[in-house]
Amino acid sequence: MNRVVLLEDAREEARFGSKAVGLGQAIRDGLPVPPGIALSGDIVEAVASGEDSALEEVLRWVRPLGGPLAVRSSAVDEDGADASFAGQHLTLLNVRSADDMSAAVNQVWWSANSDSAITYRQRIGKFTRPSVGVVVQKLLDPVAAGVMFTRNPVTGDDERVIEASWGLGEAVVAALVIPDSFRVARDGRVIETTPGYKKIAVRGVPGGGTVEEKLAKELVEALCLDDGNLQALNELAGRCEQVYGPGRDIEWALADGKIYLLQCRAITKGGK
Amino acid sequence: MRGAPIDVLKRVPIFADLADGELQQIASLFKERRFAAGDIVVQEGSGGAAFFVIRSGEAKVFLGSKEHTTLKPGDYFGEIAMFDEGARMATITAATDLDCFGLTYWDFRPVVEANGVIGWKLLQRMAQLLRATRAQ
Repeated sequence: MNRVVLLEDAREEARFGSKAVGLGQAIRDGLPVPPGIALSGDIVEAVASGEDSALEEVLRWVRPLGGPLAVRSSAVDEDGADASFAGQHLTLLNVRSADDMSAAVNQVWWSANSDSAITYRQRIGKFTRPSVGVVVQKLLDPVAAGVMFTRNPVTGDDERVIEASWGLGEAVVAALVIPDSFRVARDGRVIETTPGYKKIAVRGVPGGGTVEEKLAKELVEALCLDDGNLQALNELAGRCEQVYGPGRDIEWALADGKIYLLQCRAITKGGK
Repeated sequence: MRGAPIDVLKRVPIFADLADGELQQIASLFKERRFAAGDIVVQEGSGGAAFFVIRSGEAKVFLGSKEHTTLKPGDYFGEIAMFDEGARMATITAATDLDCFGLTYWDFRPVVEANGVIGWKLLQRMAQLLRATRAQ
């Protein structure tokens, strides 16, 4: 049984975690997901334990991806669910090469055993051994990125709510900026555009990891998406709903003139 | 690198009575864990399921807001969580970049449950540490 597979071949949540399987399903359904691989929970544990043969197996799959890489946790719990652990486990961006993979996988494994993750597990009554898979993808160098709700998560209205900022989406996810925000009707009509206040962009640095780069004054309040981008995002929202069902919370990135899907999960808060 | 050197573990009081073979069994379960200077390693009051021995670097221990001591290579922390699933009793921050060997509750418990000799030695050592604490 393969402990590492291409993302499109990740089908078992109990082995690879729901993030990996969700992205695999997205690729199988033709959604624009960056290429990558999925590591099962047992090989993640073996690499974290310092097993040379496990690391070599992972590296054989990682090397063809080139670099830089995004290394994301894909938690598996006894119910095969991942969403409840969102935010507890680690994502490492801009891992520069296969050689840095061992430390990155070790960090992801420990993030599932960190005190904050254990506190959370105790709080929800799951003080059980965590298992964490890993998704490794080619890291994009996006012009802009952010999140999109396929319906309004506050009012429940049938409209897309998009938040965007320059560079990697972590600026939006980690609330490091006031993002541009857009409301787009299902038919593509732009209902509302609100420029944000984006003083920094998160970008990869040559030595690995990311940096908060100060933005030029003219970019701080300039919209980072145009109408064409919004139409492409609206189309992505529709395709995600066709594949996964209504009410999706999407992470996306705009790179090389194309919108990529980075993550798609159910909206977990608010709305009607 | 796989596991922790048993020489390092021999200096940890709760493991002091274990034979080399028993210690080797436990040592092989440790995984390396690194923290950056300034990281909060352990937060008083939070849950925890891992025990650490410092390989290199230094860490500061706080009880409440008061700095208590500095831990150096060979020192250890978090051992109570290996037994009782309770809250962390101190806050520990990485004073420098910190390289540790870590052992989780999930790896440790099955070894103790499967090996009564190891369990008994640990129990004796815990009792001695309790007496020593009460005598202070």
